[in-house]
Amino acid sequence: MNPDQAPLLRVRDLVVEFSTEVGVARAIDGISFDIYPNETVGLVGESGCGKTVTGLSILGLIPSPPGKIVRGSIELMGKDLTAIPEKELRDIRGGDISMIFQEPMTALNPVFTIGNQMVDVLTQHRNLTRKQAHSVAIEMLDKVGIPAPGQRILEYPHQLSGGMRQRVMIAMALSCGPKLLVADEPTTALDVTTQAQVLEQIRLLQDEFQMAVILVTHDLGVVAETCDRGIVMYCGSIVESAGIEDLFNHPCHPYTEGLLQSIPRLREKPVDRLPIIPGRVPDLFHLPSGCRFADRCSKVTDRCRQEAPVLQQLTGSTAVSCFNPVA
Amino acid sequence: METLQYILRKLLTGIPLLLGVTFISFLLMVYFGPDKTYELLGKSATPEQIEEVRHQLGYDRPFIARYGQYLKELATMDFGHSDSTGEPVSGLLSRTIPISLALITPGFVLGNLIAVLLALVAAYHRSSWVDRFIMGFSVVGMSISFLIAIIGFQILLSSSYGLNMFPVRGWNMSTVGNYLSYVTVPTLATVFVSLGYNTRFYRAVIVEEMTRDHVRTARAFGIPPARIFYKNILKNSMIPIITRVIFSIPLVVISGSLLIESYFGIPGVGKVTFDAITTGDQPVLKAVVGLTAVLFVLAQLLTDILYRAVDPRVTLK
Amino acid sequence: MNAPAASALPARREGLWSKALHKFSRDRAGLISLVIVLLYTIVALGVWAGLWATEWADVTGTKWMPVSSEYWFGTNLIGQDIFQRTLYSTRTAFEVGLVVAVLATAVGALLGAVAGFFSGSWIDEIALWLMGVLDSIPFYLFVAAIAFALQDNPYAMHVAMISTFWTTVARLVRGEVIKLKSLEYVEAAHAIGVPEITIIFRHILPNTFHILLVQGTITFVAAIKSEVILSFLGLGVKDGMSWGLMIAESTLEVMAGFFNNFLAASVFLFVLVMAFNMFSDALQDALDPKKV
Repeated sequence: MNPDQAPLLRVRDLVVEFSTEVGVARAIDGISFDIYPNETVGLVGESGCGKTVTGLSILGLIPSPPGKIVRGSIELMGKDLTAIPEKELRDIRGGDISMIFQEPMTALNPVFTIGNQMVDVLTQHRNLTRKQAHSVAIEMLDKVGIPAPGQRILEYPHQLSGGMRQRVMIAMALSCGPKLLVADEPTTALDVTTQAQVLEQIRLLQDEFQMAVILVTHDLGVVAETCDRGIVMYCGSIVESAGIEDLFNHPCHPYTEGLLQSIPRLREKPVDRLPIIPGRVPDLFHLPSGCRFADRCSKVTDRCRQEAPVLQQLTGSTAVSCFNPVA
Repeated sequence: METLQYILRKLLTGIPLLLGVTFISFLLMVYFGPDKTYELLGKSATPEQIEEVRHQLGYDRPFIARYGQYLKELATMDFGHSDSTGEPVSGLLSRTIPISLALITPGFVLGNLIAVLLALVAAYHRSSWVDRFIMGFSVVGMSISFLIAIIGFQILLSSSYGLNMFPVRGWNMSTVGNYLSYVTVPTLATVFVSLGYNTRFYRAVIVEEMTRDHVRTARAFGIPPARIFYKNILKNSMIPIITRVIFSIPLVVISGSLLIESYFGIPGVGKVTFDAITTGDQPVLKAVVGLTAVLFVLAQLLTDILYRAVDPRVTLK
Repeated sequence: MNAPAASALPARREGLWSKALHKFSRDRAGLISLVIVLLYTIVALGVWAGLWATEWADVTGTKWMPVSSEYWFGTNLIGQDIFQRTLYSTRTAFEVGLVVAVLATAVGALLGAVAGFFSGSWIDEIALWLMGVLDSIPFYLFVAAIAFALQDNPYAMHVAMISTFWTTVARLVRGEVIKLKSLEYVEAAHAIGVPEITIIFRHILPNTFHILLVQGTITFVAAIKSEVILSFLGLGVKDGMSWGLMIAESTLEVMAGFFNNFLAASVFLFVLVMAFNMFSDALQDALDPKKV
């Protein structure tokens, strides 16, 4: 992160709600963060914490209805993406911002060749004929490490393995030179070896293409390996944001601390049981009025139950939303 | 060559179905079916006469021989003569099937086409009042009996109590004008009752395809809605749509035309079937059942070939 | 999937029913349709108990009497009370609908569960073949064939409908069972040596009950609609009264401009089928865990 630079993406006070028959669920409750050019930021949390919804809302892909951005702004280089017409947003999707998804098996259209789908994206955003786009697509497949790209490009998604498909998705995502890549659990569905290869590929290409990456994941190990910075989400809010060293060495929010302790690893002293965070995530229809983590927190005070903490800058790179941060 | 082999193999797998359909129908309609002896002879027949007629009708032959005879008739498409009119069954069918096709095709095509369009509109405006209106209309359509729709349209359009614009009943294909005037009321009734079911089915299919991951991917890459609609939604909906359309053909030809033709007195295959049912005309019934089964096997083959054309995941194996 | 998910499954099922009840109680269209269906049920039960419509077959009036306080819907061609005949036909419709829906669903559930449980084996092959065969015989011909074979037994129509309608239920149950049997709790039952028959009846079939309930209502509607058309064609109800027979009777009257018979039968049929369709939809919505 270079604080002198202007942020590439600036999210302010974003609120996303889903209306259902049972009531309105607030999936994201007033989050703010910046993404700077060229950095990799991990967006971490349990499933249902709002990390995927955050990723989707950046591209204006919240399924609507039932979802809706209620408040807040998402500025890409000064342009508020929540306020521009759909048509303009379409030029940004796949152009300036690309997104890759968790499910490589179903994320591609099964009835068209991968080449056909890549060419569609390329001709949509770059001024190319279909023939030119075809050779660019081959080039891109080569870059993401697909052997014999000239033949592979004529194949259908079902003819490729999961890892291959995710590489195709990456090739497609990078083909129009995005400034920001949102990767939503890009390796969760893959086996461990493939995972490492795909992550490595993203990192290599990030340097080549000079883009920022938001890595949405529940896997702290992946964050530690690949990210410059981590944003921890809990129940629709950001609880902690810090540089990667600070986050792992000095977690300040009790939730972050709990998450880190629950990772199995080789320890100096063997432990009988892996520590867990007690209690359950509150349901999004009945959020507590104070801190959402209060019921599960070991350092809870009366204030935590009455008043919701806001994200505040501490020393160094860390910002935390807690009244009693871990020292 | 490969395709030809595939078709032959596929036709062979249709044989168990054919055997099953013909066996069950034969068992019920012919073997356990009405005994024609007394109908032909009257009540005061001598035992010798009875013996004679039973022999002629083949009643004294073992079951397997009689069933084998039926299969032979099916294979050679020669079902003998109608019991009630004496006309050769093959001639009867080749005369009446074109009439039925001319009668039901417009309603069948329109009923599916309009339904797909309505389903698209409903799916596109999912959960809005447009969707609710179309789906509400579908439930009403589903709740109206075919019979009531037929009589209702007849009263409204063909009687002096309504618009009185079309002939009350009958059939005439001598000119295009005649054809249109006779086909309109049955077509309207068919479209009206099939629209509800079809629209619901197609909407469900399209909504399912709209919520697929690859549709989200395409949106995330800025592909415009028209192209997503064509490449991601419509192309992927083709398999269930094709299946429904093709498999309803054999049923529509016989069952769909039966009520309309017997009500309007149209001399198609449905009317022939109905008359054969009421008079117990076994040669005709055997022919109709056999041909429907053959149609089903062909429909299966046709869908398999079409699947391959629309979905690269399907191979000829 | 891990162990907690498997043990959580029965709890989720319980939740499905209480949630469904809650959702259904908030569905206004569903509630209205349920009330209508119950009203029809009362009418049918009353006929069955001999409380009303006892003179449906008697000639009490004269030809085509208009609507009056005595003859609510007027009289037909030979002077019978159309109102009583309409009510009596409700009983016929319910009788056919219930018998066919219950038996077709039961047969379908049983054969579907067995086929699904033994999917891939010859048992499944045979079941699939039988379904394909029954689906390929034209419905009216099948009814006639069974009527021939049963020598005009009044239940030939019921048997024919049950024999054809069970296949849809069976296909759905089969699909669901194939899905269910790979779940941990079924595999666990297998592993600790619970007999297959017990697994099917104790563990798998109860979990397809929501499908059976919805399919039962759909089959009920299909049976009523088919009964009317079959009776109209002379292949259905022979002794007794049915909306289909009333409509058949009315075709002569309609041409002469007397619509009471036709309207009475059509409107009663339409309202019942519509209410049942809406009830079925509401049930399906309420039982669909995907819809919150």
